[in-house]
Amino acid sequence: MSTVVYLDNAATTPVDPRVIEIMLECCGPDGDFANPSAVGHEPGRRARSRVEQARAEVARLVGATPEQIVWTSGATEADNLALFGAARFHRSRGRHIVTSRTEHPAVLDPCRQLEREGFEVTYLKPGADGIVAPGQVAAVLRDDTILVSIMHVNNEIGVVQDIGAVGRACRARGVLLHVDAAQSAGKLPIDIERDCVDLLALTAHKVHGPKGVGALCVRREPRLGLVPLLYGGGQERGLRSGTVPTHQVAGMGRAFAIAAEQMAAEATRIGALRERLWAALAALPGLRLNGHPVHRVPGILSVTVDGVEGESLLQSLPDLAVASGSACASTNAEPSYVLRALGHSDRLAQSTLRLSLGRFTTCEHIDYAARRVRQEVERLRAIAPPGVGAGQR
Amino acid sequence: MRTLAGAGDLPAGPGIVCGVAGDVEQGARVRFELQVEDGKVAEARFRAFGCPHFVAAASWLTDRLRGAGRSEVENWDWREAAEALEVPPAKSGRLLTLQDAVRDAARNWPGAGQSTV
Repeated sequence: MSTVVYLDNAATTPVDPRVIEIMLECCGPDGDFANPSAVGHEPGRRARSRVEQARAEVARLVGATPEQIVWTSGATEADNLALFGAARFHRSRGRHIVTSRTEHPAVLDPCRQLEREGFEVTYLKPGADGIVAPGQVAAVLRDDTILVSIMHVNNEIGVVQDIGAVGRACRARGVLLHVDAAQSAGKLPIDIERDCVDLLALTAHKVHGPKGVGALCVRREPRLGLVPLLYGGGQERGLRSGTVPTHQVAGMGRAFAIAAEQMAAEATRIGALRERLWAALAALPGLRLNGHPVHRVPGILSVTVDGVEGESLLQSLPDLAVASGSACASTNAEPSYVLRALGHSDRLAQSTLRLSLGRFTTCEHIDYAARRVRQEVERLRAIAPPGVGAGQR
Repeated sequence: MRTLAGAGDLPAGPGIVCGVAGDVEQGARVRFELQVEDGKVAEARFRAFGCPHFVAAASWLTDRLRGAGRSEVENWDWREAAEALEVPPAKSGRLLTLQDAVRDAARNWPGAGQSTV
């Protein structure tokens, strides 16, 4: 076993060797490295063929057609393109946008910018289980609502939103639905037609593909207008100018194809590992599961450990790569706004660990991690002053 | 964080003074126990809840205070720990809690008219 057990797959995943293989085929002088827009010569046409194959693979995973896929640099850019693109194109129809307080910053920050541009944004508060009830969304739709943005799976606590019900409510009112599927693509079935999703943000690196590439899936029938963020060569039907990185998108296509093949089996395997981890940790007094106990993605377990300071716990576990309850990244010591939106105090939000599993997580990893977390929680509680947290002296 | 010298409690007995400061809800709380013999700290122990810098500084203090008299304990300044442990400025506020606890112990010094543990 590696010296560090990696349980931060919700942050990013290692690239699958099968993905690396196809990426390398698109890089070297003997490979398909050419500009895929340069279809006037054979190398360019070969690169284009790689790009279009990847486009089809990505589309297939989400029930879309290849023409609906627009390559981006990742989910953040896809979210930005969806929000700014749709809001600016449709502003003559209305200026009201709906989202939730627990969205990723790639959605919340553009919403704040849109507010500065004159839009009005309603931020829905999820329940204590992290779920935004579809009825909450339907209740705030107005005649001037043009866009709803709800993530499929929350990156911190792993809860799954009922995007189908939200989508139907939006479609009935003629409101566009954008879904950030960074944490769900390749892990849960997605069908944009069935779920009435108009814009779907995707990324490769959460599903064992490369970093730096993603896609926005855009509804085509009826055509959905978007104002681009980038202008230049007019690639991606003018929606995203810039040379398409063949090796990156080929890697994303392969990653999505592998995920599609393995999704059912991996969901079962990883879900069982998560339950094994939870069962092993749940014996600790003062431990609570964050988020809905059932409506959750298989690979994410978020637990709050009362009576232990989160940063100290993280520092005590140098042999585990896990995330704390700080907002989005350990570079930010602020308590997680997601956990606070669920009603956690700052202290409890900071006493939270997110353990996220992936394709290369084994039973041995889980047993080791559970043992180490228990050890360090007990050690830190043993040195805490009287009266701190649950199960204390 | 792997090795925390001075964590725990002193055996109950005469001459032990206690200093407490902080609030768990604010993210830092510490308790020191000092064994005072012949007017000086003979041994010290701590219990702490807080960030790694705070806990490490509390551990460091148990060694630092050994041999100190009441006046030195009373006037101990958090900046000494900040400098010794290269604590980042963002965490300095937590060290003030340590200073409060140490001064609380000085107030409880044997013969200072306060209670002993």
